[in-house]
Amino acid sequence: MVDFKVLEKNLPRIDARDKVTGKAVYASDLYLPGMLMCKLLASTYSHARIISIDTTQAESLQGVRAIITGQDFPEIRFGSGALKDRYIMARDEVFYIGEPVAAVAADDEITAQEALDLIKVVYEALPSVIDPITALTSDAPPVHSNVADYEGYGFTLGNSNVCTLLDSDRGDVDQAFKDADRVFEETYRSQGINQGFLEPMACVTNVEANGRLTVWASTQGPYQIRTQLAGVLDKPLSSIKVIPMELGGGFGAKLRLAFEAFPALLSFKTGRPVKLINSREEVFTLNGPRLPVTNYLKTGVNSDGTIIAREAYSIFDVGAYLGAGPNSGVGHGLGAYNIPNFRLRSFGVYTNKIYVGSYRASGVADMTFAVESHTDSIARQMGFDPWEFRIKNAIKEGDVSVSGARMPKNGLVETLQAVKDRLGLPKRLEEGRGVGIAVCEWRSGSGPSTASISVNEDGTVSLLTGSVDISGSDTSLAAIAAETLGLSLDQVIVAKRDTDLAPFTGPSGGSRIVYSQGTAVHRAAEAVKERLYELAADRLGVQKDALSMSDGRIYIEDDPNQGLSFTQLGTLSINSRSGPIIATASLSNMPYDPVFSTQAAEVMVDKATGQVKVTRYVQAQDVGVAINPMSVEGQLEGGVVQGIGRALTEDMQLDSETGAVKTSSLSTYLMPLAVDLPAIENILVKVPSVDGPFGARAVAEPPGFGPPAAIANAIFDAVGVRVRELPLSGERVLAALAGESIEIRLDVDALKKAEGT
Amino acid sequence: MKKPLKLNVNGEEKQILVEPYSSLLDTLRDDIRLTGTKKGCDEGDCGACTVFLNGKPVTSCMVLAHSAHDADVITIEGLGNLDDIHPVQQAFVDYGGLQCGFCIPGLIMSATAFLKENPDPTEEEVRFGIGGNLCRCTGYSKVVEAVLAAAQNINNKR
Repeated sequence: MVDFKVLEKNLPRIDARDKVTGKAVYASDLYLPGMLMCKLLASTYSHARIISIDTTQAESLQGVRAIITGQDFPEIRFGSGALKDRYIMARDEVFYIGEPVAAVAADDEITAQEALDLIKVVYEALPSVIDPITALTSDAPPVHSNVADYEGYGFTLGNSNVCTLLDSDRGDVDQAFKDADRVFEETYRSQGINQGFLEPMACVTNVEANGRLTVWASTQGPYQIRTQLAGVLDKPLSSIKVIPMELGGGFGAKLRLAFEAFPALLSFKTGRPVKLINSREEVFTLNGPRLPVTNYLKTGVNSDGTIIAREAYSIFDVGAYLGAGPNSGVGHGLGAYNIPNFRLRSFGVYTNKIYVGSYRASGVADMTFAVESHTDSIARQMGFDPWEFRIKNAIKEGDVSVSGARMPKNGLVETLQAVKDRLGLPKRLEEGRGVGIAVCEWRSGSGPSTASISVNEDGTVSLLTGSVDISGSDTSLAAIAAETLGLSLDQVIVAKRDTDLAPFTGPSGGSRIVYSQGTAVHRAAEAVKERLYELAADRLGVQKDALSMSDGRIYIEDDPNQGLSFTQLGTLSINSRSGPIIATASLSNMPYDPVFSTQAAEVMVDKATGQVKVTRYVQAQDVGVAINPMSVEGQLEGGVVQGIGRALTEDMQLDSETGAVKTSSLSTYLMPLAVDLPAIENILVKVPSVDGPFGARAVAEPPGFGPPAAIANAIFDAVGVRVRELPLSGERVLAALAGESIEIRLDVDALKKAEGT
Repeated sequence: MKKPLKLNVNGEEKQILVEPYSSLLDTLRDDIRLTGTKKGCDEGDCGACTVFLNGKPVTSCMVLAHSAHDADVITIEGLGNLDDIHPVQQAFVDYGGLQCGFCIPGLIMSATAFLKENPDPTEEEVRFGIGGNLCRCTGYSKVVEAVLAAAQNINNKR
């Protein structure tokens, strides 16, 4: 193992002291002179034509400064991806309960709220469809009747409620099912989920004296907001500056334009700063959550336990607009296993409900629940040990992954072994207690990544990157720069930046910051190192290859007393012939890098109530190298606890008739508290990645994938029943114990007919 | 109609005009501009707004500002600052007990109040003691480690 100076050390985060003293500034902490408060009026119909909006009474309320409706925006459609199916504010038609139809700017929030009640909207109800399976039928009302006219739409399935279809095939899956000794079919269902960030979405907008728009935002994607705002306001990109504030959790919900356009337009109308803060209720009812997913799996296995065929059909409820990468689960329909014949399909279906948002690779979490429960179920039915069955089929270096990339060196087997050793598997627990495992697989993220490093006259360096600081990423990026240059962490200054100052960067999400952004930082630091060597070589009168670097000095290897400290080099560089030292790096397409994790849950099931308590949780994840072990473990622990919430208590319920969000408070949407949990045991496996900085892999998303299946498998181990629907509530466990589980059905034949398979 | 309110906040007397319906949280943030205390839900469910009111931890979103007339209020800013950091704050830094930081001021206040009542707790007691504070980022493991370490630190200094 390499002896690192900065990496692999539990250094406190550079933002920690600001946060523990309440000094860190979040968007809602900003107060500007003359600032107004903005509140939004939401549609009360799941699908309706807007006949009229009368704002006269609201406008005459004292303290109200301006009111806007959808007609005040340019008639430009936008979308979160290629399909442009939305107006930023509803113009003539609303598509879900919660869709914004008007916005008020007033002297204070109470006045703005009162004004909303005085706005008179006349709606004419239109047919709506709430259930995605119903939406797939040929006589279901279309959510978007003109969907074929939308830019980016490309389907000919004959059902306009299907807005995306992802597919992936290999080999001959139908023949393989015929050849297989055993075939298993199961359907799993995941619930609606809210991202649950503690900081409600907030932003402040202001039009500067020179006419430019400034947006202080709670966001993971300032460049994405800039692009989309320019689009919907029909203003030049260069006229907008987005300043990301301290982020109080996002988990994917804050990757894109959310509500910023409303205070922005109100700032243009009033000439004053405008602040918008979601209430917690609005976080539940206005912000795109995750919607339920149904995953059908069919698997062909030989009697020796080799999996030879997999078919997966996913129904992905998208809501009213294609808000976030749906179908992200379909590429993970094989799990962590090498399966030569497969057919994977994912249907994204429109319904008249709030649009789906991103949440820590949630689609993969849904699929992992299905795949790892199914894998366990097959093993049990065939009489194999669940751990042995997994390792027999585990994908290895050199195998071809779903995407077609060759699997590079990775730590999957090491993680399986680590969990086996830690728990002492196979393990029989006493009555009512059980143990279950789950394997998670993901990939390190890529995307546009840029970095710039310059040397100060005292030998410290300044690091400029466009990425939003997400849970310690600034500290990790600084650590990569420090390690490359032989500096200590506090010798790297990380700039607070905005979209004017830093070059374009992809959003902070999708597990891309350490792997991709970190590589840009590493390359920029290497280039700075080269320039320092050149300067030292010039001043010391030797060739570059005669020099060595350590402890903040560059010196002649054969005569170490002859050298220059970084401080000296920094001062010399300012007036040197080639000028002050600055180096940049830019990249966009990092190679495929897998991330594997094995997790295990020990549970206690109360057969009288069906309640499940997690008594022990262990995870082993291949992190490559731990940039900052304390920070890495924090990501692992936080992710697992989000997964435990998904497994046991979180359930975003939507009305089956209207699609309205029913669980709209923290007292009905139940996220784990400290009392609900054991201490999480982490094992950091370190098989260095081929391309990541110092061998680092992505960390943050996989931990959340495992708990639902690990716990469902543990319940089976404990009391012999399998629950196939999340959350694994007491009611569902009891129903399963009584043999009364509600079976989830998916008419796969109808889907195959529709796509012509 | 705003009415006069007198509060003693972090040792300083404040005399301000406040609406009768204003919560202590909104008054601290909007009127006194102490923004360290956060609003996570405004319904008493998350604990992010925890401050000390006459020495006891309260969810300030559920306290009417005027009901705290003449009271002593301590916020995160009054607990400790960069020059004079409180041992609980320092423990959170040292043990990585924070990520996004939004729940942290309220969590630190709750933990501090808990340790005053129970200076030598078990892990289970700590989990109960911070059981009213919601955190979405950390999974609580390092938060609990930090509180236990702070307890040790405070006890050693006695």
